[in-house]
Amino acid sequence: MRNLLDDYALVSRLRYRNVWLKLTIVAFGLLVGVSSTSPATPLFIALSMGFATVFFGKTPLKFYLALLLVPTGFAITGSLVILFFFGSGSEVFSFEVFGYRLTANAGGLDMAILVISRTLGGMSCMFFLALSTPVIELFAVLKRSGIPDSVIELSMLMYRYIFVFLEVAMSIKHAQTVRLGYTNLKRSLYSVAMLASTLFIRSYEQGEKLYLAMNSRCYDGKLTLFETKRPIRSAEAVLASIYAIAALSLL
Amino acid sequence: MPILATRDLKYTYPDGTAALDGAEIEIEEGKKIAFVGQNGLGKSTLFLLLNGTLKPGRGEVLFYGMPFKYDSKSLRNIRRRVGIVFQNSDDQIFAPTVYQDVAFGPANLGFPEDTVLERVNHTLEYVGLTHLKDKPPHHLSGGEKKRVAIAGVIAMEPEVIILDEPFSNLDPVGADEITDMLDELNHFGKTIIISTHDVDLAYGWSDYVYLLAGGMVIGRGAPDQIFGDPELLKGAGLRQPTTLEIYHEIERRGLADRNKAPRNVPELVDALKPPDLMWVRVPPGIEEGDTLNLGMMHGDYALHSPYEAVNAKVMHIHDRGWAIAEMERRGVRAGCIRIYDMAGYEPEELRKIVRDADIEVVGAMGRKSKNIAERDGMRLDIAAGVIDKAILMALCGKRCLILTNGGMVEHAMKRISDYAEKSGIEINVSMVGEGG
Repeated sequence: MRNLLDDYALVSRLRYRNVWLKLTIVAFGLLVGVSSTSPATPLFIALSMGFATVFFGKTPLKFYLALLLVPTGFAITGSLVILFFFGSGSEVFSFEVFGYRLTANAGGLDMAILVISRTLGGMSCMFFLALSTPVIELFAVLKRSGIPDSVIELSMLMYRYIFVFLEVAMSIKHAQTVRLGYTNLKRSLYSVAMLASTLFIRSYEQGEKLYLAMNSRCYDGKLTLFETKRPIRSAEAVLASIYAIAALSLL
Repeated sequence: MPILATRDLKYTYPDGTAALDGAEIEIEEGKKIAFVGQNGLGKSTLFLLLNGTLKPGRGEVLFYGMPFKYDSKSLRNIRRRVGIVFQNSDDQIFAPTVYQDVAFGPANLGFPEDTVLERVNHTLEYVGLTHLKDKPPHHLSGGEKKRVAIAGVIAMEPEVIILDEPFSNLDPVGADEITDMLDELNHFGKTIIISTHDVDLAYGWSDYVYLLAGGMVIGRGAPDQIFGDPELLKGAGLRQPTTLEIYHEIERRGLADRNKAPRNVPELVDALKPPDLMWVRVPPGIEEGDTLNLGMMHGDYALHSPYEAVNAKVMHIHDRGWAIAEMERRGVRAGCIRIYDMAGYEPEELRKIVRDADIEVVGAMGRKSKNIAERDGMRLDIAAGVIDKAILMALCGKRCLILTNGGMVEHAMKRISDYAEKSGIEINVSMVGEGG
């Protein structure tokens, strides 16, 4: 039923690799991809990241492609506009729609291709991170980067209870559906409102129960977060460096 | 001295309804106690009072005879020593991973990081969840979540573990696993308190029962005493345990020994007294009351073990040489129970034992033994309620092997010899392997 990126990240082969290394690779890919002026570099980054995600991380290829289709769709529609309304230079092709003449010129074409390749490069970096690093691995990173403890603790609790309430919300929705709560627009609005208010009350109650449960285990106002040490292996470092040099040489 | 006790406990909800009204309890150390009553009748409230989360309106709670104090330092001490597992695991498990949730308690006790690490790893291994330690709780099944919740509490090493409805929402096998785990914890000295409305479970499992109704303790005592009293049960809105009900029905028909209170299936079977009558042909000259040796029987004619030596006591002689005789059967190849201590586990040795001792049924008891058995792909015929089932099998002439470890070995030996003593049936039980 659920198809969350986080669920794929949890079973990824790259999950237990050093988080900082993964973050560096992603930041590098984003920066280089965006600052590149030729479409080759972002495309190279997209290919490498996609290869790493699917081959090393064992994310199903089909799922990965379907995922990539979403930003690609956006990028293509966006670059169509760019193609016809931006840039200058020699005309590449043109045609007439309802009496308007649409002209694509060389500058526009270059720009459109660059936009698409940058989108792909950037998105594949983000997907690499999202599909190899579950949220639970990121809390330690947040802590290291000096974000206040209370914010991290809150986000840990929020992360945990998102799934609890997702389940509650789904079961309420099913209960409403089987009693014809979503047959027309008016009923649907009414049902959604009920769902939302019930969920609010439930989460309020959950908060109180949570406090009880934490107190019963001697809660003293702070959550301790233990970071597991995962040293960077030499093979990983070498591979990452080769990738970085290759990407830079394409600039 | 009772480890936990209450005196004239009264607690009123903010809306004015009384959850508890004058409850008096005394919990003996090292016992398994069940609080039985209908849902929503103050069991959860009582439990929150027992670890100091709620403060009684009247009366007091005593820990080793000392009344609770409600300053933060005393409360911390109480909560460390009296752990509580909530009914809904999702209310309790809040950390994003199993590991972090189990580490929460020990970290709050202020241990250094490596002590916490050691405790968590040990606890996770104990409850058989090491392989799930990096999973988020929403990827776990109900039974696994319950085990995480229990692990979170036992990682703090409390003396008393309170579990609110630990078996609700669990499938039968999941519930059996939790029961086994509670037995194991109890065997190693923890006092276990549960609340339940499952009379069968409370009857078979506990050492002592409190019956609650209307915020009061309306009955307390040994399980056979409490559940043998239909009036008392009716007052609490409960029914008799199934084992007891079946026993009463067959006893009323004269098919079982009187005045027993079987708590589990082996004891129920043991109480049976079927008149084993049969038509036999008698040679002339035999009189009523004589005993005939019918020799060995097997197959369909042997009821309890593969081969039986059967004597017939002639009750009534009919015409033409036929007589009604009462059979006296004695199993020749009786079953047996062998216990293997997994502490000295050697795959080769175990295989040799199974082969040489002609073992037909293998069962594993305790999480650790089950894990090893699963890992090495051993076929387990019994995985839950191991001792009871092994006794039943042995009575039917099967040869059983129980895999277990540590203190559970002693526990198993004791349970079986207790049974033998109580029933008067000799069960051949011994240790096998290097450890034995």
